[in-house]
Amino acid sequence: MNHRIRLFDVIERSLSGEVMSERDFDMKKIAIETQKMVKKYDINFKGDNFLMHDQGFLNRVWDAGIELLATTGVYSKDTGRVISYTEAEIRDLIKLAPKEAIYGADGDAVLEVSRTPDDTRLVTNMGGSVSVPMPNEYFVPCMMSYIQEPLVEMHCPTTNMEISNGMEIRTKSPLEIIAAWEEVKLFRYASSILGREGMAHHGIGISVSDIGQLATSFMMKKTDSHCIGIISELKVDNTILNKIAQTVMLDAQANPYANPIYGGLGGGVNGQLVLMTAEMIACSIIFLGTTVGTTPTHPNLFISTNKELMQITSIVFAAISTNSNIMTRLTQTMAGGPVTKTLLYEVIASTIAATKSGVSRLQGPRSATGAVTGACSGLEARLQGEVIRAAVGLTQEKAEEIIQKAYSMYVDDLKTQPYGKPFWEAYDVHSIKPSDEWQKMYEDVKNEAISWGLPL
Amino acid sequence: MDDKFLALADTVKEGDIDKGVAEVEKLLAGGVKPVALFTECIEPTLNILGQQFSVLEIFLPELMIAADVVNAIQEVVEPILRESGEANISKGTAVIATVYGDLHDIGKNMVSLMMQVNGFKVYDMGVDVSPQALLAKSEEVDADLLCLSGLMMPSMPFMRETIELAKANPKLADMKIMVGGGPVTDQWASDNNADGYADDAMGAVKKGIELVA
Ligand code: B12
Repeated sequence: MNHRIRLFDVIERSLSGEVMSERDFDMKKIAIETQKMVKKYDINFKGDNFLMHDQGFLNRVWDAGIELLATTGVYSKDTGRVISYTEAEIRDLIKLAPKEAIYGADGDAVLEVSRTPDDTRLVTNMGGSVSVPMPNEYFVPCMMSYIQEPLVEMHCPTTNMEISNGMEIRTKSPLEIIAAWEEVKLFRYASSILGREGMAHHGIGISVSDIGQLATSFMMKKTDSHCIGIISELKVDNTILNKIAQTVMLDAQANPYANPIYGGLGGGVNGQLVLMTAEMIACSIIFLGTTVGTTPTHPNLFISTNKELMQITSIVFAAISTNSNIMTRLTQTMAGGPVTKTLLYEVIASTIAATKSGVSRLQGPRSATGAVTGACSGLEARLQGEVIRAAVGLTQEKAEEIIQKAYSMYVDDLKTQPYGKPFWEAYDVHSIKPSDEWQKMYEDVKNEAISWGLPL
Repeated sequence: MDDKFLALADTVKEGDIDKGVAEVEKLLAGGVKPVALFTECIEPTLNILGQQFSVLEIFLPELMIAADVVNAIQEVVEPILRESGEANISKGTAVIATVYGDLHDIGKNMVSLMMQVNGFKVYDMGVDVSPQALLAKSEEVDADLLCLSGLMMPSMPFMRETIELAKANPKLADMKIMVGGGPVTDQWASDNNADGYADDAMGAVKKGIELVA
């Protein structure tokens, strides 16, 4: 079915669905129904493994996710109504998910594919510490540190903290429009001077409201990745539907994502399994995503590399990838920052876990929780690309063993959160080369991982 | 905790509003002082729930249902307290919101809930709230404390402006302002004239109590 027809249908349902208060939706639909599905489908995860091989369990997570979405629908904050789909409709629409998509153009095009856990086809490496606040003077050099990496195939820029005349950016104001223009132009500039003008841009990162994205949509290409964050948990407003409408009208590729919060409305591990599955299905069938993303976050640590979140994402990707064509994306958020071994071990563990669970694209690494000014660099995205290539050929058993090993190397650092050094100390910002210290640390950790059996 | 309060404590933990209110009525009829309901039962129970939530032994929905029961009990008890002239059980009146342009509400909700369950009367204005609307509400409810949450750089100017406008408003001269969220630090708070900062929900409660004392 054509995306425009589907969009009209979504809008129509947002105008005619059941009326409900947001609080009732949060509590009666999300919190209570999620736990009901956990019971009904006997979702009772235990254990220390990061990878899951029990297909019966995966199928139950999948079915529970579908039934949860059919029960809750998605709440429209602007109309105060629920956008609902029946289970039969959901199952039919899932069949329409694309099996592959091309991001980027010419020599920089990458074919993204719907994978399965043991697929030897590659995961797309979207290198970039998305939206980390970055002082304007380092915005382009930092972007270049990613784009210059041959294994980085798409890029998501940091948050430029000022526009070029030094003014601080304000959302919902003319400054957001100007900042969005600058994000696109500076990305194209950085990619073209590095000879990678075809590379896909995942954006507009700085478009906090809809206006930045709408104002620059004529500058975005069909092969770019249009970033659209839906509101946790399973909510939407018109700024988001506006971004989707514009992407659909342009015939471009929507990349909606949801950020479930561990311990939030979905509760602990079992609830998150069901809720995250439902959210990713919603991103595919309601938000019309070509590839659908998740950025699960721990509420006290602000990361995704703790044990529970890695278990949750591995299971959800395996459940989705073995039951459908839906292409999934994980934003990996790390505790460590540049010039720390912590960050590198986290990249190794989390990248293998997602790759061996059937994810289609990795976004990140989002270093140092993604919230620390300047704390990211291209080197960690190089490692992400290398680990993807080394991981696809591993057996599940070997992959599990290496994840456990890498995890044991950083678990104690998750609470202390070593943010390391900002970009301008981790790199020479003129030559855009990692400092000797950072380069050596990277080589040491790589050699260590090779000794564990990761063929880097 | 005295045995006679155990059943009430259970209703808070289980989120049973009807049973909670019935239990309160029973205790009051049996001669328990309204203030004692709070100091000897509800506050210690909520304290435990708050601790459990901060280490994720329980999750957000459990805290939400506990807050619902406590809010319902407050409605029953407040008129009695007013009549009897007994001490005010509220720690203060707080207005809370996520600042203009920012839709992130999970951290703000946690702070809001923890403040509620710790005895503040909280007016939660939701997300994406303009400086003007925040000040109007603060005046309307005569707030002791304005709590601002902000997670994104492009919304931070609005947090700063809210503080500037509040500090320039004579009707809000006694109101304290507390800030939090990703880009906010202790340093940002003092540079921008906020009265307090905390980096998590438990810290927010502590700081809030300190500020309104
Ligand atoms: C979840 C999330 C979302 C969800 C929000 C859902 C929701 N209902 O809230 C969605 C998907 C909608 C979203 C959207 C976007 N997001 Co967002 N998001 C996050 C994420 C992953 C987690 C935030 C969170 O909930 N943490 C858990 C809670 C518990 O923590 P917390 O909010 O910090 O609150 C705690 C403390 O800070 C404190 N606290 C909070 N408030 C207050 C208030 C007071 C008074 C006090 C004392 C204390 C206090 O106590 C809380 C409890 O301990 C962060 C990344 C991160 N690592 O934090 C990015 C992040 C905040 N988002 C970011 C961005 C850029 C966006 C988007 C612009 C992306 C885009 N281009 O579409 C949009 C903007 C939408 C908008 N207009 O707001 C950036 C901001 C960068 C910056 N500094 O400018 C971050 C840092 C991630 C990143 N690097 O990309 N996001």
